[in-house]
Amino acid sequence: MQPDFFFLPVATSQGKDAGQRLCIHYAAQLDGVACAPLGLVLYIHPFAEEMNKSRRMAALQSRALAEAGFAVLQIDLLGCGDSSGDFGDATWEQWVKDVVIGCQWLHRKYPDETRKGRGPLWLWGLRVGSLLAVDAAKRFDEPCNFLFWQPPASGKPLLQQFLRLKVAGDMLAGQSKGVMEGMRQQLASGSSVEIAGYMLAPGLASGLEQVTLLPPAMSGPAPQVEWFELSTREDASLSPISAKTVLAWEQAGWRVNSHLVNGPAFWQTTEIEDAPLLIEATTAALRRARP
Amino acid sequence: MGPKMRHFRQLASTWEFELDITKEVLRVLDEVLSLGGRSAGFTRDTPLLGAIPELDSMAVVTLITSIEERFGLTVDDDDIDGSTFSTVGSLADFVSGKLAA
Repeated sequence: MQPDFFFLPVATSQGKDAGQRLCIHYAAQLDGVACAPLGLVLYIHPFAEEMNKSRRMAALQSRALAEAGFAVLQIDLLGCGDSSGDFGDATWEQWVKDVVIGCQWLHRKYPDETRKGRGPLWLWGLRVGSLLAVDAAKRFDEPCNFLFWQPPASGKPLLQQFLRLKVAGDMLAGQSKGVMEGMRQQLASGSSVEIAGYMLAPGLASGLEQVTLLPPAMSGPAPQVEWFELSTREDASLSPISAKTVLAWEQAGWRVNSHLVNGPAFWQTTEIEDAPLLIEATTAALRRARP
Repeated sequence: MGPKMRHFRQLASTWEFELDITKEVLRVLDEVLSLGGRSAGFTRDTPLLGAIPELDSMAVVTLITSIEERFGLTVDDDDIDGSTFSTVGSLADFVSGKLAA
């Protein structure tokens, strides 16, 4: 199967040119034959280096879903991958808009009457992608289902982790005292900081720091969440913070299926690694879920 | 059980505890650095920073995060110091120090 690569032009709310985003579209097929999709899936990538590390898994999963009859779109957000702009141009706000633009493209491409499955669009997020998915769903005026891969409960620890890259880099160079404090001050005063080759704009840092994985308000029938965590341990269980977040979603009326799958943390391992069990379980979960 | 015996027991359990931490730290190291089991040959004296090419800044951060998650502790940014990561033993001692605190 050959996916379709194209550039999607983006305009600001004032109608100004906001560059273009690289998109990869996997058309639905069953038994190797093109078919009307059973469902629509939008993939939202993780943050900075994690995006590069997870490219292979994203492609493998997109292909597996397409072969199971789903239409999948991957979008590189502003300043990421092959989309226009530099990482330093990215703000949380624009990333959320980019996700909404991806949703709109899928809906335009596949109006209801051309789909076999009329269920809600699936927003599939990996790590930060899960947080973006939830924020975007609040702006997109259609119900959405969610597919989360290793979702963080909030953005704050992820920002901390990213800032630490600089602390660790300086430590390797033999100095590290006060680096974190300096970066925080710089961001607070409205300047960007450079971390491991990425310029981090204050508008991205503040958005990331504030976002939490809280369920959006529901409209219509109870939507669904497929929640996946990976571990290489035999005796693993859902992390305590995730268990707490799942409960909050359930209390808000969402149907949540949480899954713990054996596999490496491929978005951060030194070598590019695969988690075939995750792909298998994800495809099975979406097939089961379709109405 | 006499006081001597009790003291010995206590020592033994502390020793086992330390051993478990070293084992767990090695497990995290192997996983994060994709060592493919190479850590089985590591001892407390095995040097890390500057000796293992896979240990770049991204790997250091992943290592810290994994340790935080695995042991349920919080690392302060001032703790991110070269001496902590110099050997397997110094890293394990750092973790047991944090756990005891």
